[in-house]
Amino acid sequence: MTVFHFFNCAILTFGPHAVYYSATPLSEYDTLWTSIKAAVVYLITALVKLVCLATFLNVSESESDNFDPYQELLKALFGFIEVAGLYFALTQLTHRNISQNHKFQAVGLGWAFADSVLHRLVPLWFGARGLEFTWDYILQGLEANANLVFSISLAALGSLMWLRKNKPKTLIPIIYACAGIVATMPTITSYLRRGLGWYLPKVVGFELFSSLLIAFISWQLFVACQRPSN
Amino acid sequence: MANSQRRPAALDPVYYPVVALALILVACVDFCDAVTVVDVYRLVQYDLSGVPFGSRLATLNHHAGSSFFASSSTVDLSRTVLMLPVRELDLDLIKEYIGQGKLLGGLLLLLPPQFSPEKVETAVGGDEDFDLLRNKVSELERLLIHANIPYPVYFAFEDDNINAVLAEVKRNDASGQPATATTGGYKLVVAASDPKKIASPTITNIQGWLPGLKPDGDSSQLPTIAIVASYDTFGAAPALSVGSDSNGSGVVALLEIARLFSVLYSNPKTRGRYNLLFGLTSGGPYNFNGTQKWLRSFDQRLRESIDYAICLNSLGSLGNELHLHVSKPPENTYIQQIFQGFSSVAEESGLQVGLKHKKINISSPRVAWEHEQFSRLRVTAATISELSTAPELLEGTGSLSDNRRSVSEASIIRSVKLVAESVARHIYSQEGKGTNIFADNGSLAVNPSYVRSWLDLLSTTSRVAPFLSKSDPLIMALQKELADHTAEVNVQHETLDETFTFYDSISGKLHVYQVASVTFDLLLLLVLGSYLITLFSFLVITTRGLDDLISLFRRPPSRKVKAV
Repeated sequence: MTVFHFFNCAILTFGPHAVYYSATPLSEYDTLWTSIKAAVVYLITALVKLVCLATFLNVSESESDNFDPYQELLKALFGFIEVAGLYFALTQLTHRNISQNHKFQAVGLGWAFADSVLHRLVPLWFGARGLEFTWDYILQGLEANANLVFSISLAALGSLMWLRKNKPKTLIPIIYACAGIVATMPTITSYLRRGLGWYLPKVVGFELFSSLLIAFISWQLFVACQRPSN
Repeated sequence: MANSQRRPAALDPVYYPVVALALILVACVDFCDAVTVVDVYRLVQYDLSGVPFGSRLATLNHHAGSSFFASSSTVDLSRTVLMLPVRELDLDLIKEYIGQGKLLGGLLLLLPPQFSPEKVETAVGGDEDFDLLRNKVSELERLLIHANIPYPVYFAFEDDNINAVLAEVKRNDASGQPATATTGGYKLVVAASDPKKIASPTITNIQGWLPGLKPDGDSSQLPTIAIVASYDTFGAAPALSVGSDSNGSGVVALLEIARLFSVLYSNPKTRGRYNLLFGLTSGGPYNFNGTQKWLRSFDQRLRESIDYAICLNSLGSLGNELHLHVSKPPENTYIQQIFQGFSSVAEESGLQVGLKHKKINISSPRVAWEHEQFSRLRVTAATISELSTAPELLEGTGSLSDNRRSVSEASIIRSVKLVAESVARHIYSQEGKGTNIFADNGSLAVNPSYVRSWLDLLSTTSRVAPFLSKSDPLIMALQKELADHTAEVNVQHETLDETFTFYDSISGKLHVYQVASVTFDLLLLLVLGSYLITLFSFLVITTRGLDDLISLFRRPPSRKVKAV
């Protein structure tokens, strides 16, 4: 019964990635290799980020108790290491016969999948198989869904920023602002949870809502950028 | 294409460390995320001449319930752990249930926190409710000890956590949905291995020898007075069996008497012409088995030199009446002498001492009082106790209700004075002269803080002999204490009578888990499935169009590939 619950939570956490891959044209153009490369880049980025965090950040004695603006600012700065990693994945990982459209999706997908595996698989394995029932792992799965949307949005915005040359000048600040918001999303959620004392369901709800909003905006931006070029 | 298929396989080793790490974590980390974890104490499990008694199982892993009639009368409770607060327990019901041998998944009895040995409170006697509760607990205990219960029975103390769980379980039961695997609720888990027999349990007797003064030096020629108390206990929950009154009070009294006489005997001027023998015996609940083995180990001369033996038993509760239990006829001159000694001292301190005679039945294995072991070897002996009748076998020797709250230091101090004074008057031939050797304000006064500290220690230490190792801290402490007050201390290890067999795992940790039902997980699976299908359809429609989605279902995949 508890293995059943683990199975459910795993479906919720990792299912959307697989569905996204198989449902979109990604699967038809064999972009798996790009995704895997992106995932490897993510792993390396995460490692670098971890080393930086461990070097520069104080270990707070009372974890998750209060929101320390200075520490969080540092964390947000290190968050941009991820953006750098994504930049590398988008610009340096060249793969033939793949369109820009598919490339950012594949990178975003690989990115999100690696993140889920790294951050959620082990807690899930230990937690969800236990006898004790909590909503945490279901919420965590929902969070993974939001994260997938965020990653793909960020990859889309990144590809707009770095790969597309002839984009309308008026849209550039909006693109950068959106990318900034997405990149600082972990800090925002951390602030909501610790600074404002929101409970996990509320935070996850916020994440889901904002991910959909961001996805919609980046889609619109993408479409807007594509129009003049075509 | 072929190239790109081969390369992921070559990359696989990158993931090996991750997999290895995960496996190591699986192996090492024992995650515990229960709602609450409480200490539980198992009902004693023992065999009496091969006949099984007590709780026969230790492992518990079932859903929680709160009453015998969950919702319908036909409900099967064999997979339910009943959580019953002793406060609200219907004794007749549980008696009937156990009597009929009906099955349960397990039984968790919640004792009020006042019964916890950890909580040493000075409030003695207490309110009427507490006395009623004590009677109830005693009765329950008697029932459980003498029954053969084929499921695990545990005791726990009420606290906020467990009460919250209980309230929740009760609410579930009241809503008409008994907790089973399909409806969720709480699961109670005690991870324990099968109880194992304790191979040859040892009982340890500690004796202290305080030699008297003999002008020509050989003290072994002098007569001896023995003061004896059995220190071990037996109760429904061995881990909780502290026996403050039976017989912690006797042990405390003995130690204090030893201390007083060591002061007297340290000065040659006040050193009496009697040897004093102090015995802390084990095996008290088992027909004073330790006492028997201890006496057998004496050589003939020592046994014959014993003038008389005083056994101390249950001296701690309030009340002005003590009983001197003897097995020789009361007309016997020695008995008369002891009784006179006690009653004259008692009169002065406002106590009443009654003489109770109970003949020994040599053919019966039951030894109700410790002095009977002496009497069987023709040594004059008496037991001084507040109990007027002997308890049954395995009863009244450290029950759950016998804790610090039920014992008063004042009574022990009074009894110490009574015994010490009468023995001292006998030693110094002061009978009937009204001298007060251990007067309250003198240098030989009973030390209340000594009595209190030992009483507190004994009231927090369970002392069921089979579960005490040879070098148990308590035994070491008693030995050291007696060594401080006497000239020579001997420790004797014996094996307990083979009629009694005990089983281990007397305490454990109860994990209370809140569990979801299978139906919940099934529903969740359905919801997730439809979510993924919706997501799939949505993505296909937005990225490839509706026709593609329909075509996915219409055409076989092989032809679809051709069409693309």
